[in-house]
Amino acid sequence: MGSIAKIHDMLVSKECSCTELTKRYLSEIEASNGELNAYVNVTGDEALRAAKLVDDKIAAGEEIGMLEGVPMTLKDNMSTKGIETTCCSKILTGYKPIYDATVWELLKAQNAVMLGKTNMDEFAMGSSCENSCFGGAANPFDTNHVAGGSSGGVSSAVGANIAAYGLGSDTGGSIRQPASFCGVVGLKPTYGAVSRYGLIAYASSLDQIGPITKSVEDAAIVFDAIAKPDKRDSTSKGSAGETYSQLSNDIKGMKIGIAREYLDGVRDDVREAVLEAAKVYESLGAEIVYFDLPILKFALPVYYIIACAEASSNLGRYDGIRYGYKTEHYTGTHDMICRTRSEGFGEEVKRRILLGTYVLSAGYYDAYYKKAQNLRGTIIQAFNRAFEACDVILAPTVPMTAFEKGHATSDPIETYLTDICTVPVNIAGLPGVSVPCGFNAKGMPIGMQLIGKSFGEATILNAAYQYQQAAPEKFMDTKWGVKL
Amino acid sequence: MVTREDVENIALLSKLFVPEEELDSLTQSMQDIINFADEINNAPASDEGFDNINNLSNVFREDVVVPSYPSEEILKNAPEQGEDHFLVRNRA
Repeated sequence: MGSIAKIHDMLVSKECSCTELTKRYLSEIEASNGELNAYVNVTGDEALRAAKLVDDKIAAGEEIGMLEGVPMTLKDNMSTKGIETTCCSKILTGYKPIYDATVWELLKAQNAVMLGKTNMDEFAMGSSCENSCFGGAANPFDTNHVAGGSSGGVSSAVGANIAAYGLGSDTGGSIRQPASFCGVVGLKPTYGAVSRYGLIAYASSLDQIGPITKSVEDAAIVFDAIAKPDKRDSTSKGSAGETYSQLSNDIKGMKIGIAREYLDGVRDDVREAVLEAAKVYESLGAEIVYFDLPILKFALPVYYIIACAEASSNLGRYDGIRYGYKTEHYTGTHDMICRTRSEGFGEEVKRRILLGTYVLSAGYYDAYYKKAQNLRGTIIQAFNRAFEACDVILAPTVPMTAFEKGHATSDPIETYLTDICTVPVNIAGLPGVSVPCGFNAKGMPIGMQLIGKSFGEATILNAAYQYQQAAPEKFMDTKWGVKL
Repeated sequence: MVTREDVENIALLSKLFVPEEELDSLTQSMQDIINFADEINNAPASDEGFDNINNLSNVFREDVVVPSYPSEEILKNAPEQGEDHFLVRNRA
């Protein structure tokens, strides 16, 4: 049984009250956050207020929904009315949104108990969480290792049982990569399935919000709750239907594709774990089909060109006038804006703004941005053709396991390469879920990715759940946090 | 080839200051990333084009006037505000 259903049963059977449970989570956060640095803002008073509402409902004999009273967290780039939302950037210090992101509005309406906001790479730009102005989050399997990024705080918190679940955002792998590093489940939905209203933008044509959870059934429950059409996001469509009720479907005859390119350049232990998972699928009656997807080798530069171009535009709004940080000494408006941005943004954010401005500038636009957009079309077509021969694609989530702290920051391009297996999904707007599939010799988790057709969340979660049932030993708990 | 002048020009467009002592290393770093991005020139010529993802079409709605957020709430986030406006001093 997943954590969410367990908590629901505990509350309904009055094994403990929501207030008691919330206090347990808060005290575990207090005990472990110094080492994990998963939370950047703990909202204990608000959490206890929400918990009391749930307790009052239960006391009055009212029925409660599955997510009611379940303690959770949000990545710090989702707007929460009246609660500081910083994107872990100095430039948004002190910013308190005056409205809620749609995802938070939906969960709040179900009396979700938010324990606090979690750590991330500044503006979601990074793969280790170390680009945070608060310092990086640690991996619950070994705190000398990074949690991954950019949604490192959510993954660390969920892996360490100091949140039952959380929402992350994924632009090039920022849900799936840290989920893989921290041994938890991370779902990046189809572009358009979940509203982006209130998500502070990094690259608008790639960003999606999704759940990070301990189990596949939890991911399905949370996805079903947040995948709703929203008039305030002009690209939102909602989901194609409920996923939770499809988890137990038989996968006999399901065609699982493996693109050989996804296995190139991947560490041996990661490749072996993914191929072993393929054998599990065969034992469940699925058929493994191999194919080539040569266009994938261009996905990473295409991603960095498009993402940085969009970021350079989206981050133009930070000028020190309307919100956040403002420089103290300046000699004119242009000087004020330049100083504010130069002092307020971190190195990686500045590097991506500069790269984005470069590829959009006169003389380079055709060679980089336009060419990358054309290749984006080619990559989408290549995936469409691949899905004529298979139902889901199985791939590693990351070519390696979590690296030691400090390793990622030395060489930007080497760090970018960690995203090689995750970015194609964002470029093509497809859904992808990362699921634990083994451990390396040092005991660090390995993740595999199941990629589906657009709006095919039910299929990939069904396949992921069947694997979880067949290989529960891959879903290992850590020593931390609340034991349910 | 990314030059120091390119980086200075891009920084100006991006409204970012690059300190003189960081200019050389940043130029090199930009050159490395551009070399990496240049890999797309080895891709097969493509005329598939791209205009949207998953055939999503714009979500239209009637243009109905709804109450906006109170300006005093919005102004609370400003580093400096006047009575009913954002305040930007000429110098500080």
